[in-house]
Amino acid sequence: MKRTIPLIITSVTALVLILSQATMLGRKLEIPKILDRYYLLAQAGAFMLGSIGRTRLHLQNIIRRREGYAYSIVLLVALWGFFILGLFQTSNGRVYQWVFNATLPHLESTTFAVIAFYIASAAYRAFRMRNIDSSILLITGALVILGSVPIGEAMWKALPSIKTWIMNVPNSAVQRGLQICIRVGSFAVALRVLLALERAHVGRGSD
Amino acid sequence: MLFAAPATPMPVLGIFYPGETAGFFLIFMLGLLIYVFSRRAGTGKRVPSIRKIPGLESIDEAIGRATEMGKAVHYSIGIGGVTHADTIASWPILEYVARTCAKYDTKLVQTNRNYLVYGVCDEIIKQAYVAVGKPESYNPNDVRWYSDSQWGYSTAVLGYMNRDKPSTNFMFGSFAAETLLLAEAGAVLGCMQIAGTTNILQIPFFVATCDYTLLGEELYAASAYISKDPVLVGTVVAQDIMKMLIAAVTLVGGIFATFKADKWLKNLFAK
Repeated sequence: MKRTIPLIITSVTALVLILSQATMLGRKLEIPKILDRYYLLAQAGAFMLGSIGRTRLHLQNIIRRREGYAYSIVLLVALWGFFILGLFQTSNGRVYQWVFNATLPHLESTTFAVIAFYIASAAYRAFRMRNIDSSILLITGALVILGSVPIGEAMWKALPSIKTWIMNVPNSAVQRGLQICIRVGSFAVALRVLLALERAHVGRGSD
Repeated sequence: MLFAAPATPMPVLGIFYPGETAGFFLIFMLGLLIYVFSRRAGTGKRVPSIRKIPGLESIDEAIGRATEMGKAVHYSIGIGGVTHADTIASWPILEYVARTCAKYDTKLVQTNRNYLVYGVCDEIIKQAYVAVGKPESYNPNDVRWYSDSQWGYSTAVLGYMNRDKPSTNFMFGSFAAETLLLAEAGAVLGCMQIAGTTNILQIPFFVATCDYTLLGEELYAASAYISKDPVLVGTVVAQDIMKMLIAAVTLVGGIFATFKADKWLKNLFAK
């Protein structure tokens, strides 16, 4: 029973959502808007549960003086300090805004920027001539890179046109083929869930 | 008249919202095919088998490697929410990995960005340990929700990988710009890496850094491939037939467009 009821709820909700998107009556009733509110509530509840789980884990780290427990203190202060500040100031508060703008965007930008170095090391590994496949990859990659920068055009005037052809013809053809297959596949996954054929999310064991 | 209510569009075939008819019938046809083939497989009739997928074949080898080395297996489900098809497709793989790890007493660390996904993953792993008869081996601290922020999550996973140095890194799910950060970190640490996503912008990064990569919709076939459940295999056959139908329609459309006779065809699908 504990698996059957969630499967029925999932199937009925999925069917209602499909019909509310495709039919005139469904659009009129605006069911997705109502369901979105429940989704938001579930998200808020789960967010709190996640935060409590993290707090429990890091409190254990601090109490047992595990290696790197100082980082756990920083995490807990940031997590709950920001939460308490938000309770007093709301998300539009001056200090709340300042703390957010002075920390998170910069930390995120820094992490994002690190990718440039990772691309270099991954490209070094991928662009080594080991067999015919990797040689084709290397030549194509070199043509696209050189065709995209001014020095490439200075070297050979045809390079930008070759790059454009590679991107628009073989690259687009492969990408579109993949996209079509992925979309059909994602429909099939959705229908497997709707028909209760896919049930890993509720466990496959006996009730 | 500036504040007049927007005009209600005319329904197609009496009930459908304009622009949604083709999509609805596509889903209906796919549903019908899935029903037919899963029933066929369920009654023991022959259905075509799925070709060998090296990435899924190597999951056991990757877990075996971690078991022999006495190190952990890391499983990232990506950054997608519970409604993302990649996340749903990743759950059966997670269940299989968790069962195998539980069977061989190999530590499994599973990391999440989305807190709803975290709840489902926690339950899947717990159930897997119960299913193999080792509920006492399940450690709730090994199923982790790190951060709701994409980069916060990525940094936390990087930190975990550099501290604990797992020997195997599985990445199945929805991945975006953090793909390379996670996969390259695993490659530098010498992890055996198997990954799969349908984000075509990220697949090249996985191909460059991982030992095996599930390309595009191979991820969606994983559930059927791993479980070898004939009913699920039937659904994959149905989706392949649908793809062939779409390819046939594309071909016919191409021919019509070449001979400039595509106007009525366009009108048919514009409804």
